[in-house]
Amino acid sequence: MSLSEAKANGEVRVSRISGDARFQSRITSIGITPGCALRVIRNDRNRPVLVYSRNTMIALNRKECSGIEVEVLS
Amino acid sequence: MTATIALLGQPNSGKSTVFNALTGLRQHVGNWPGKTVEKKEGTFLHDGKEYAVADLPGSYSLTANSDEEEITREFISSGKADVVCILADSSQLERSLFMMADYAGINVPSFLVLNMADVAEDQGKKIDAKALEDKLGIPVIQLSATENKKYDMFFEAMNRAIENKSLINISGLKTELEKIEGFTKLEELIPDGSIENYSALWLSAKAIENDRLVIDKLKNTLAPDVIKEVDGIRGAGGGAVSTGNSKFAWIDELLAGVLQKKDDQVKLGKLDRMYLSPVWGKPAVILTILFGLIGSFIPALPFMGLGQAIGGLKAPIAEALFSAGVSEILITVICNVVLQSFSYILQMLGFVFGVVLVFGLLEEVGVMARISYVFDNSMAKLGLQGKSVMPFLISFGCTMGGAAGTRVIDNWGQKVLTIALAWAVPCGAAWSVIPMLASLFFGPGAVLVIIAILLTMVLHMWITAKIFGRKLVKTGERYGMIMELPPYHKPKWGALFRYVLGRTKDTFFRVSKVVLLVCFLFWALSYSFVPGTDPILFKIGKVIEPVTKVFGMGWQLFMAFIASSVGKEGALGVISALFNDGSFYSAFSDAMSGAGVAADLNEVLLSNVTKPEALAFIFAITFNMPCVVALAATYQETASAKWTAKIAAYYTVGALVLSTIVYHIGLLIW
Ligand SMILES: Nc1nc2c(ncn2[C@@H]2O[C@H](COP(=O)(O)OP(=O)(O)O)[C@@H](O)[C@H]2O)c(=O)[nH]1
Ligand SMILES: [Mg+2]
Repeated sequence: MSLSEAKANGEVRVSRISGDARFQSRITSIGITPGCALRVIRNDRNRPVLVYSRNTMIALNRKECSGIEVEVLS
Repeated sequence: MTATIALLGQPNSGKSTVFNALTGLRQHVGNWPGKTVEKKEGTFLHDGKEYAVADLPGSYSLTANSDEEEITREFISSGKADVVCILADSSQLERSLFMMADYAGINVPSFLVLNMADVAEDQGKKIDAKALEDKLGIPVIQLSATENKKYDMFFEAMNRAIENKSLINISGLKTELEKIEGFTKLEELIPDGSIENYSALWLSAKAIENDRLVIDKLKNTLAPDVIKEVDGIRGAGGGAVSTGNSKFAWIDELLAGVLQKKDDQVKLGKLDRMYLSPVWGKPAVILTILFGLIGSFIPALPFMGLGQAIGGLKAPIAEALFSAGVSEILITVICNVVLQSFSYILQMLGFVFGVVLVFGLLEEVGVMARISYVFDNSMAKLGLQGKSVMPFLISFGCTMGGAAGTRVIDNWGQKVLTIALAWAVPCGAAWSVIPMLASLFFGPGAVLVIIAILLTMVLHMWITAKIFGRKLVKTGERYGMIMELPPYHKPKWGALFRYVLGRTKDTFFRVSKVVLLVCFLFWALSYSFVPGTDPILFKIGKVIEPVTKVFGMGWQLFMAFIASSVGKEGALGVISALFNDGSFYSAFSDAMSGAGVAADLNEVLLSNVTKPEALAFIFAITFNMPCVVALAATYQETASAKWTAKIAAYYTVGALVLSTIVYHIGLLIW
């Protein structure tokens, strides 16, 4: 499923990142890579999705999240 | 110049803090040639030697995706920097070392600064900088950039890097990258130095990442059949995701034995539960900004008092000069150009000082990132960052403050676009004129006029965003927010004050030029050089009256419209003087210095101006250029005379178009 559908307070693992070269490089450089675990802090309508990964709180625009496939860990 | 140092690091790693600590007031902000990106350069002395330092534009990586990244790359590869200071955030080492990993393989000497040592310590993290230094082969130090006394280690590392020309040891990264299918082959096809200053490893990684600049350059240097082979491997390489994986794997390996930490747990603090709440987020942000606006007036008051005092000196000085036998022309130049200008400038500086201080504080503390988050969705519709909501709200008070507030917007195009849109927000001065005029002519209908103005404002901003946005924020670059929400920091007052004072000083010089020039021009056009004859502006106004009638303005109203682009408060004074057959020049000068409006203004207006004309005039002055100080502040913030002139011309024409439309609608109603 896409990250934008993930439930708040859940733990997910990134399984695939797809998108144009620019999106790929932007998302990687902020520390989100396939295999890394994310904690979904908030996922509210009309707001960016808020995740925590590699010691960092990251806000991701909802549309951009559609390129991030995740599997639920807990 | 002994050496040039470039500061490189992801956003929030502390580049600007280090830059400010090193340079103090010896800094200069401009634009990169031909690019719409802010350029910060400065100098500092150490051991009697002078060094130049550049704060490279913020970006998360070195891939050529945006102007910011291209400039950074160009600056480094062209050899302008003798040494690159790479900054990382100790409290988030795993992530923030990415910039270092992305830099590894560039053959320009560097050293690594693990900043925010204090924060990492508070989190119970232990970092062995020496062990990392041994692994990386470049000087590595820990630093708390906000503590000014601790820069000895910084200078020591810098000098060692310059002397030894230290380059990052890339063997570990190489092992990781070579796990990518075909990477070794790629390194053979693109040997070291295919492009100057870059290693085969770096170029191969960027080729896989589809880096536009590298690929274009390789096409010019490599043989066509080699290019074909390179393209084949690239296509299957997995792009930035797979090289990113290798880089993070390398970072993990570097940090093994270097970083000790406890398991970290995230919990949103009270403040974040409020700011990030779907219900309370927006009200909380708006309230924060409004309180910030009010707070900005407190440090501004002394300046404003001083500015007004200078304005008040005009009359006594004029009298003194007159009795000393100085010619009238000279007296008016001294009083109405020079003193008037400085009275404006000082009052403005006070506000700039307040806004930069308060909103710089909000940025520093981390609140600005939350504002970005809350308004990301709404502002993205205009092509802007969430932060842009702040200058818009400030502009209801004062456009110049709004322009100064755009300082926290890190993308130049979005900054200029934000200013261009903020001009459409009626400022405090407009709000002091509109309701009075509207209720005079339309009685209770004034409420409708105000609603119409607010709707027009929204429409104006939307259209302006379309027109200017195309150039300033290209659709291809309109990516949604991918941003770190940094932890809250305690403000560092010393650094903040020095920064704010530096900016205020900078603003003073730049703005003085613009305000003096505009005030002088206005004076020259409105002064009767031959006693008893009309000034030039007056004559032109009368000649083009047939044209201005189309806008719904007779010459008197048109003159008031022109005066309103210098200062809104002046418009009414000009009207009352002109309809009373007063001298335009003295009317203007008095009105702008805040003299009261003639007591009979109401009767004068009602007997000379029709309803459609009044409505047209209200719209014209509301959506006209806000004032000369806003113009100057725009120039200061955009650092571009071209865009400042474009915005000013656009608003002047726009106000006349609006006024024409409103006038003709008015003619249909009445
Ligand atoms: N506690 C602490 N805060 C720091 C340190 N260095 C920078 N900061 C703060 O971190 C924030 C981001 O720093 P800034 O210089 O703007 O980062 P830039 O985006 O790289 O230019 C600011 O609020 C700084 O005051 C440090 O060593 N310790
Ligand atoms: Mg900065």
